[in-house]
Amino acid sequence: MLTAILEHSSLFLQQLVNGITLGSIYALIAVGYTMVYGVIQLINFAHGEIYMLGAFISFSLLTGLFGVGLPFWLAVVVAVLACALAGVLLDIVAYRPLRRAPRLAALITAIGMSIFLQNLALLIWGAQIKSFPRNLIPAFFNEPALQFGDVLVSWLQVIILLTAICLMLALQLIVHYTRIGRAMRAIAQDKTAASLMGVNVDRVVSYTFALGSGLGGAAGILVALYYNAVYPTMGYFAGIKAFAAAVLGGIGSIPGAILGGGILGLAEVFGGGYISSSYSDGIAYAVMILVILVKPQGLFGRQLRDKA
Amino acid sequence: MKRLWLMIPAVFFLVSVVQAETIKLPVASPFTGPLASFGEGVKNGALLKADEINAGGGIKGQKIEIVLGDELCDPKEAAAVATRFANDPEVAIVVGHLCSSATLAALPIYREAGLPAITPASTNPEIGKSSPYYFRNVYKDDFQGDFLARYAKKVHGFKKIAIFYEVNDYAMGLKDAFVKQAKKQGLRVIGAESYMAETADFKAQLTKFKMMRPDAIFIPGYAPQATLLISQARSLGMKCAFFGADGLDDAIMLQNPDADGLFVTTPFLVDRGGAMVKEFVERYRKKFGIEPNWFAANTYDAVGLAAAAITQAGLDREKVRAYLASISSLEKAYQGITGATYFDENGDCLKAAFVKVVKDGKWVSAEEQLQ
Amino acid sequence: MHLDDRLFSEKKFYLPLLAVVLILPWLPMGIAGPYVLRVATLTLVYMVLALGLNVVPGFTGLLDLGYVGFFGLGAYTAGLLTVQYQWSIWLVLPLAAINGALWGVLRGAPTLRLSDDYFAIVTFGFSELIILIIRNELWLTKGPMGVPGIARPDLFGRVLDQPWQTFYLILFLLLLVLWVVVRIRSSRLGRAWFAVREDEIAAECVGVNIANYKIISFALSAAIGALAGAFYARWFRFIHPDMFKFWESILILCLIVFGGMGSITGALLGALILIPLTEVLRIVLPTELSNARYLLFGLLIVCMMRWRPAGLLPVQKE
Repeated sequence: MLTAILEHSSLFLQQLVNGITLGSIYALIAVGYTMVYGVIQLINFAHGEIYMLGAFISFSLLTGLFGVGLPFWLAVVVAVLACALAGVLLDIVAYRPLRRAPRLAALITAIGMSIFLQNLALLIWGAQIKSFPRNLIPAFFNEPALQFGDVLVSWLQVIILLTAICLMLALQLIVHYTRIGRAMRAIAQDKTAASLMGVNVDRVVSYTFALGSGLGGAAGILVALYYNAVYPTMGYFAGIKAFAAAVLGGIGSIPGAILGGGILGLAEVFGGGYISSSYSDGIAYAVMILVILVKPQGLFGRQLRDKA
Repeated sequence: MKRLWLMIPAVFFLVSVVQAETIKLPVASPFTGPLASFGEGVKNGALLKADEINAGGGIKGQKIEIVLGDELCDPKEAAAVATRFANDPEVAIVVGHLCSSATLAALPIYREAGLPAITPASTNPEIGKSSPYYFRNVYKDDFQGDFLARYAKKVHGFKKIAIFYEVNDYAMGLKDAFVKQAKKQGLRVIGAESYMAETADFKAQLTKFKMMRPDAIFIPGYAPQATLLISQARSLGMKCAFFGADGLDDAIMLQNPDADGLFVTTPFLVDRGGAMVKEFVERYRKKFGIEPNWFAANTYDAVGLAAAAITQAGLDREKVRAYLASISSLEKAYQGITGATYFDENGDCLKAAFVKVVKDGKWVSAEEQLQ
Repeated sequence: MHLDDRLFSEKKFYLPLLAVVLILPWLPMGIAGPYVLRVATLTLVYMVLALGLNVVPGFTGLLDLGYVGFFGLGAYTAGLLTVQYQWSIWLVLPLAAINGALWGVLRGAPTLRLSDDYFAIVTFGFSELIILIIRNELWLTKGPMGVPGIARPDLFGRVLDQPWQTFYLILFLLLLVLWVVVRIRSSRLGRAWFAVREDEIAAECVGVNIANYKIISFALSAAIGALAGAFYARWFRFIHPDMFKFWESILILCLIVFGGMGSITGALLGALILIPLTEVLRIVLPTELSNARYLLFGLLIVCMMRWRPAGLLPVQKE
């Protein structure tokens, strides 16, 4: 009897650890969706692809696919910067010309970019799942950081959680205590008024894309390490789930995205672990639909504008 | 507007170039896409056999030309590729397809065109029953699942098995056959979890298995996911054994240090074969610079069978089919590198399964085989 | 005057189309014949799908990102009924369409109040759930085993076993769907839809019952998608969940974005150009590139939105 209880509680604890890890990854991606939506009311479908690019770029830099093999931490930093740049380019090339077009046009463009980037990655890197060579990543990643009984927390899990927390804190500081952050909030409230007050809207939107995409890229690298897998369609599924998390938390709200990511990560792990694993992907879809239908403003969000 | 309508027929008008000097032998499989590494074995095996036949003078003086049909393991693409082959009067037999779902999509098209086909890799039990024109030189799913249950019990003495299967026809056929035989063997299946081809996160379900303490986890599925699954299980601190079927027989397993000790069934073992096999492996290594996998070996034999059929029956589809159907007993069997191949009344074949293990980054034959 | 008005208000539009499609099956008499017929049949299936998808965004201004759900639903309804009861296609087609319409209404009713991008997301999630259910509920759909052995289409008890016969069947269905869509377009219903698209609030003020009209458009669109799916299942004779991936929704969306959202001629033209093009690209491009040919589709959508957001044949605003 006692062993049964112990086993159940350690199963529960281990799933909690898994869920929190997954949740912090979703949160990192969801923030990108939410920031862009907050500023220009666009569901940036291609955000998942930026996350995928983060994983692929760091993989390529590390293994020397582009001719130079960088040490691990340098490769990570360069990949995050590259993702930030990719996000800014994405905005300038695809979305900026459509600022005044109907929202549907921008949404369709975002889908087009998502398809384009995914197939581009397929063309460059091929469809096979790639793994980071073990000798090139710090060895302690897969070693246990904490262990009680059967419950095991690896260093990588600790790093993922810490990275997520630090990046989120930094983001909150930027949004609330810097000029550019204030400009972001101003644009989110009223774009026209903000630009009349002398805010350079295009520049602020570029900053938003850079921040969101950088976080997305970081999440991509962490996931690639965590699951030991990099492949072109990884952005599609993670993107959908993170988007569901953003919707759950209330799209446009950064704390909402964090909470939404956490809840979805836990729901998926416990749903997959306790109920049925065949439907664990379905949980994200169901959550997304239910929230939109029942409480479209999410947990923290503002009431949505009805029609642009 | 008028001009536009005139352009349409031009768009539809696609003509393939007619060449009569060579004998066309289509090989259909995914050569790109997520399963491209399996397709590569198919391609190499076919090219190697064709080269050897051509070097020996071809078929009655005519050279074989391998025509590759890439269908990405997608039923829709497979049907399009199949239609192209079925309506090419120069084609007398097709070697392909790889995935069972692609084969099942192409099957009605070949059946109606009266075009015989040999699949070197599709193991779905439905295939042979559904068409007199479909043959295969690979065993069926149910045979492998059944075999693995007996092997796990008799050779390794496992008592508790957990199953982690992919949601596809191949894996589920394997799983069902395994569970059935496991019951007979008194082997306890303590849990079965599923995953999709797109899944990369197996940790939640693995955590559940971890608490059940299985002796081994059976993975009916394909290598790209299985290698992730094994690594994630190890990172959770699981120490149990892993095994699977021929879908796991892929070189990517060898790059994963966590996969050490994994054993799989395979239709083809290098060190169990005779001189013929050794020669094949050497030539393959020389030509392509890599080790052959079982897809390469089976396709090599399927192309050999197709060439033998054309040699005996000419380019008449009905005669080719009749010739293949006549290979119905061990005495008449085609002797290839994967052993003797002969067909039952459905066009299925009986073949031995072998077991091999990952050891220090290499596939080695398991010490104990079971027949 | 928009092309739609010019072509569909007068009967003469049907003449060139009819001429082209009647000639098509006989054009390539050589060895490529049946293959070209297959591509032609596939093109017509996508023309039907494009017409169906066009109903929702074209007429009501909402974007449906989950059209493949209805396509799959229709295919599975038809496939399973055929395998189970050996019913004639003439019984199966309407049943599939009705089933599609039913789900169209079920999906549409709760989404009436949503703004456009949220509507898009709900349609996407809904169709992914349908496909997930098809993949996982083995007792009903056989899941990833697929459903093989579906009977060919039939007519008056005779099996249509020649490729050109199937081609004419889908041609008939296409003309039927075209007729319905054109008729509705010029009816009160069609005008109400346009009113909703142009200005929902104004339309409501002049007494258009928005909810009703929206739901009818959802039902019609879903029914057409399911009809195409039902034909597809009987033509293909094998269905599998992999045939109904999210990508298909995007492909159909691509067709109408290319042709011009809301334009009937545009939807037809989009399918007529792009679907054969995918086959041409498969043959022309080397293998590594042909696998990534969808890259061009992504680029196409982006460029269309950038430079010709209303498509090749834009619907002009009055």
